[in-house]
Amino acid sequence: MRFHNDLGFMEKIYCFDLDGTLTKNELLPIIAKDVGLQHELGILTQLTIDGLISFEDSFKLRFSILKSIPISRVQGIISQELLFGGVIKFIRENTKNSFIITGNLDCWVKPILDKINCGIYTSTARQSGDFVSDLLYIMHKSEAINNIKKKHPNSEIVCIGDGFNDCSMFEISDIGIAVGYVHPPNKMLIEVSDYVVYEEGTLCRLLNTL
Amino acid sequence: MSFVKHAVIAAAGLGSRFGAGLPKCLLQVNRKPLIEYQLKLLKNVEDLRIVIGFREHEVIETVLKYRTDVIFVRNPLYRITSTLASYHLGSSGIFERCLFMDADILFDPFSFAQFIEYCAEIKVDIIGYTDAKTNDAIYVGISEKKRVLSFSREHSSKFEWANVCYINPSLLQPDGESVFEQLEKYLPIQGKHIISYEIDTPSDFEIAKLSNIANHSLYL
Repeated sequence: MRFHNDLGFMEKIYCFDLDGTLTKNELLPIIAKDVGLQHELGILTQLTIDGLISFEDSFKLRFSILKSIPISRVQGIISQELLFGGVIKFIRENTKNSFIITGNLDCWVKPILDKINCGIYTSTARQSGDFVSDLLYIMHKSEAINNIKKKHPNSEIVCIGDGFNDCSMFEISDIGIAVGYVHPPNKMLIEVSDYVVYEEGTLCRLLNTL
Repeated sequence: MSFVKHAVIAAAGLGSRFGAGLPKCLLQVNRKPLIEYQLKLLKNVEDLRIVIGFREHEVIETVLKYRTDVIFVRNPLYRITSTLASYHLGSSGIFERCLFMDADILFDPFSFAQFIEYCAEIKVDIIGYTDAKTNDAIYVGISEKKRVLSFSREHSSKFEWANVCYINPSLLQPDGESVFEQLEKYLPIQGKHIISYEIDTPSDFEIAKLSNIANHSLYL
């Protein structure tokens, strides 16, 4: 058990990745499938995982592939997505201490956030009518964690995620939990984590005993 | 039958005394990895945590074939830390008595079941001891009431520390040398005999295989 100064227990802040951690599917491939571009997006995802293109370039390309879809259409697809009920319940019980940190665009993931109602860090884009026109900010997850640390200086940061892009937030957090219930967690992520779990119920058991 | 709620298996080590270049929990007995035998014994434990380090991806992959609700706890310093550090990491957040065991032990399933039942029923800290047989035995001195009075490398006795115990995790401080040296501070502690074969060296492995307990019907 970790104590801080003589203040008693340290406050814990839980930072969740979105795709595959809270949602039962990765969101971008589902959006791409809707417009028949899943093959193109798949190639890009693989190149990113293999480290052949930078995360930032990859994000810009993914954005270019998907920006032709109306925002309302994307929101419609995303609002149909199933969420992991047990983890969502945990967040709802800890809304003040929970954040979602996702590379996805603010306007795309809005339907999910409306359901969960906790803190959120996303990439952002300028909107023009029902379309996104320009990228304004690409989320680097470590920046979100640094921002949270400034706002909650005496807290212990717990990060939960499954992908390569979660490595940067795991590296600067106090506890990292790699999850593998949608697909196996990224191997690099495992190597910067403290815990690895493969069922949603196991994650909830762990979160409740940290 | 009563059962323990929490268990921590230490499976992080290099197994350097064995020298197979493979985590000992993946050693094959009857074409099954050693860890599979332990997972069978612990199938009713609700909160199972396995501490991983050396060749962790292979250990995870093997465990997942048998059970997916395990909490894997990483000990990235497995090369320079002992089982004690793994137990400490593995039991972080557990405030009730917990079963601790090394991943390199082959247990007699019937004897293990009796041990667990005893743990769940008598509700005190318990140290497992077994008939002395390994090369690097930590001998235990036992009282008439089966309480463990001492640990020693030098003073041989009929029994050795079995590297399995059911204790409150607060007994294990991370800065100590080894698990038995930590437990030593709290002696006497209730003991319980168990039939088990710890595998530190190739000759231990031969003894374990000769014991034939891997062929026990409960393992088949």
